[in-house]
Amino acid sequence: MKMPRAVSLLSAAAAAIIGAGVLATPAAAQNPMSFPEVKCVFGLDGIKHNADGVMSVQNGTLEFTKGKKKVDIPASSITEVMTGKDTERTIGGTVGTLTMFAPYGGGRFLSLFRTKIDTLSLEYVDASGGVHGAVFILVEGNSLGAKKALLDAGAKTSVPVEVEADQGPAPKEKKQ
Amino acid sequence: MKSIRSLIALLSLAAVIFVTASAASAQAPAAAAMPKVKASSIQVVMVQSDEVKLPIAFQLSLYEQLIEQLDKTAKFQHIYRDGDKAAGDASDLLVLQSNVFGFKQGSEEKRQVTTVAGATQIKVHCKFVDKSGKSVFEQDVDGNVRFIGGNLRATFDFAKKVAALAVANFT
Repeated sequence: MKMPRAVSLLSAAAAAIIGAGVLATPAAAQNPMSFPEVKCVFGLDGIKHNADGVMSVQNGTLEFTKGKKKVDIPASSITEVMTGKDTERTIGGTVGTLTMFAPYGGGRFLSLFRTKIDTLSLEYVDASGGVHGAVFILVEGNSLGAKKALLDAGAKTSVPVEVEADQGPAPKEKKQ
Repeated sequence: MKSIRSLIALLSLAAVIFVTASAASAQAPAAAAMPKVKASSIQVVMVQSDEVKLPIAFQLSLYEQLIEQLDKTAKFQHIYRDGDKAAGDASDLLVLQSNVFGFKQGSEEKRQVTTVAGATQIKVHCKFVDKSGKSVFEQDVDGNVRFIGGNLRATFDFAKKVAALAVANFT
């Protein structure tokens, strides 16, 4: 007797998930070139160093939003876009610094836990011709998408996306 | 007695000569030091790296940190970026040209784990030229990060040293 109730509960849950997915799809489609959890390392006027925010590319403009602050860079003014890869400590910030004082080398041990990240470096020109540089840290795997979006919006680069994609880590050869 | 007196006289004379000489030698570098050059504005040119392969993130960070640290000194009325058209009209303009000739990208992970390994080091030749292109002052400056901080912190270290040089050599 309990089985039908469980089945109905599961089907209701499945319907809710599918419904939520259907509802969420248009919102994602409206803003397909949005990159959450982006850290602006430096280079944007009015944004502090290492500020976390959301980067988006829409209407030919790169937007970085941090709370109420928003900085726009016209994609046409971007003269260079380069991507890179790096790692950062999984436990960072103030807590990460405090772990350095942990006994028996605990802080050092925690430093071994690292998160892979992508970097996006931009060189752009302001209205008076002055050159600016900005570096962002993105979630792993997002930098090439961001670069492609910027290039589609009118940014320039000396290294095409395809070339940078090919420069990724070489696939490991299988031992025979 | 006479010999003792003459010895004391000789020693005191030697002491006087030594003190005078040391005072003169102390003043000599101050007199020989280059007089401060007047400059009301400075233009920072994008950092070049002809000899070594420098990642673009470091190149941009060096450039941006230079502008930020020079701005913090409040030594110059205007700090112009590379390519800024307004710099052409500026009087007493200095142009800062930087060329990276040494770069060792360390590892933040190694620094955090071992403390002694993984240092990042950048060596840059900095040249301050006037509007006509004549060199006013030039020096090699390095930037390091040995313990705490990411690799890009070496650029902050470098920029602070350049800002200190600007304060010391220009009015």
